[in-house]
Amino acid sequence: MLKLHNLKMRYPNGDGLDGVNLEVRNGEFVYLVGPTGAGKTSVLKLIYMEEFPDEGYVLVDEYSSQDIRDKEIPRLRRKLGIIFQDFKLLDDRDVFENVAFALRVTGARSRDIKKKTLRALGEVGLSHKSRKMPEELSGGEQQRVAIARAIVNEPFILLADEPTGNLDPKTAVEILSLLDKLNARGTAVLMATHNYELVNNTSKRIVSIKNGRTLN
Amino acid sequence: MSLFFVLREGFGGLRHSRFSGFVATATVAISLILIGIFLIITVNLGKFVQFLRSRVELEVFLDDSFDEIKIQDLTDEIKRMEGVANLTFISKEMAIREFQNLFKDKQEDYFETLGYNPLPASFRVKLQDNYRTASGAEVVFKSLSSLEDIREEDIVYTREYLVILEKYIKFAIAIDFIVGIIVCLSALLLVSNNIRLIILSKNKIIETMKLVGATNFFIRTPLFIQGIVQGFLGGIISALFLYTLLKLAAIEIPGFISVDWRIYLLLANLGILLGFAGSFAAVRRYL
Repeated sequence: MLKLHNLKMRYPNGDGLDGVNLEVRNGEFVYLVGPTGAGKTSVLKLIYMEEFPDEGYVLVDEYSSQDIRDKEIPRLRRKLGIIFQDFKLLDDRDVFENVAFALRVTGARSRDIKKKTLRALGEVGLSHKSRKMPEELSGGEQQRVAIARAIVNEPFILLADEPTGNLDPKTAVEILSLLDKLNARGTAVLMATHNYELVNNTSKRIVSIKNGRTLN
Repeated sequence: MSLFFVLREGFGGLRHSRFSGFVATATVAISLILIGIFLIITVNLGKFVQFLRSRVELEVFLDDSFDEIKIQDLTDEIKRMEGVANLTFISKEMAIREFQNLFKDKQEDYFETLGYNPLPASFRVKLQDNYRTASGAEVVFKSLSSLEDIREEDIVYTREYLVILEKYIKFAIAIDFIVGIIVCLSALLLVSNNIRLIILSKNKIIETMKLVGATNFFIRTPLFIQGIVQGFLGGIISALFLYTLLKLAAIEIPGFISVDWRIYLLLANLGILLGFAGSFAAVRRYL
């Protein structure tokens, strides 16, 4: 379960978050929609505790922003899968190693790493490109590698920050279908986007954010 | 926790980031070559100065009328003087032999022609290390000339040579000091630039590691390993370069440059330190 309660946070430039409330139940798909600069990325950073609120609190499973210790943050992040607009793949290693990386840093056993990595690559339909380097893939494929890396640790929620922002409309739809498929298998998804067209006809819950404040 | 992964990531990183790794190693090597050359010059300059100073001595000529007891008394008295390291007695006979050795190409025997030995006996007075300066020699000169049986004109030493030597030594030390500052500043600039490069090159991997839940130990250790290995390689390269350079120099000017082998050890260790400092700064920036 994910809960953001009355978050307030001031940025150095004077802007900030001014009352963010949001709850995502297990298995739910929620869109966080708002214009550029509304505070979507900040909300996600507060969830994976890269930043902390001045007021209010964030609850991620058993971790609270109010009392989490520094050394607990890596454990919290292993419960989340995070996807970005710019994929953030490591270009010095192949697709398999990019995905396996998320397991290796947790100290998983090699046998489990191989099994889980191949399963995650299978889920995103890239088993056949596991030995390709990121630069040999299209944008959509690179985002699918990033998704495989995000789900390989079997997180309870996927945080997606404008995951279709760098993709053409057709590929964007493919990525959304993939997120839908993962959601249907039980993984909650919180996707931040400024693309209203993308969510126009959705049946999923939409939370709007504007000037650092959520409007339900 | 997988130590194997940390080591693999550390050594694998060297292979993955070949360009930045090469630049980092080259930077450390160049900085250390500069520092190494400076150290070698400084050490050799010091030795050369010591060599020149070790040649400083005062010669006290003795009257032919002095008997053995008198000479022994003077020996004891001079030995006790402040600033005197030791003294050698040169008898009239030894003085002749030295003269003959000095002018052995001349066939003529002056002393046979003269029929007597005109050369006086003398003491050669060597000074203690800290008295091998113009002012130090002057102190000993005054003590010697205050002796009852010795006149000022009986004491000979290269006062002008010492004054000029002092002037050149001061100049050389000043130049060495300025060069030292320039070398250290250049090395510092190179290394800090290198650190900035490492920071930039590690930005993405550190960010990704943090996002997928890597602990600080898992993030830091591979980067430290890389930094240390790159620094060590830089140190070894600089040591090999200097070794070769000095071997070549020794062919040109044999016996002139002396190098303590510990300087190579120092360079390798400095390399490790610089490499570690670079990766430490990079890690600190992002963790």
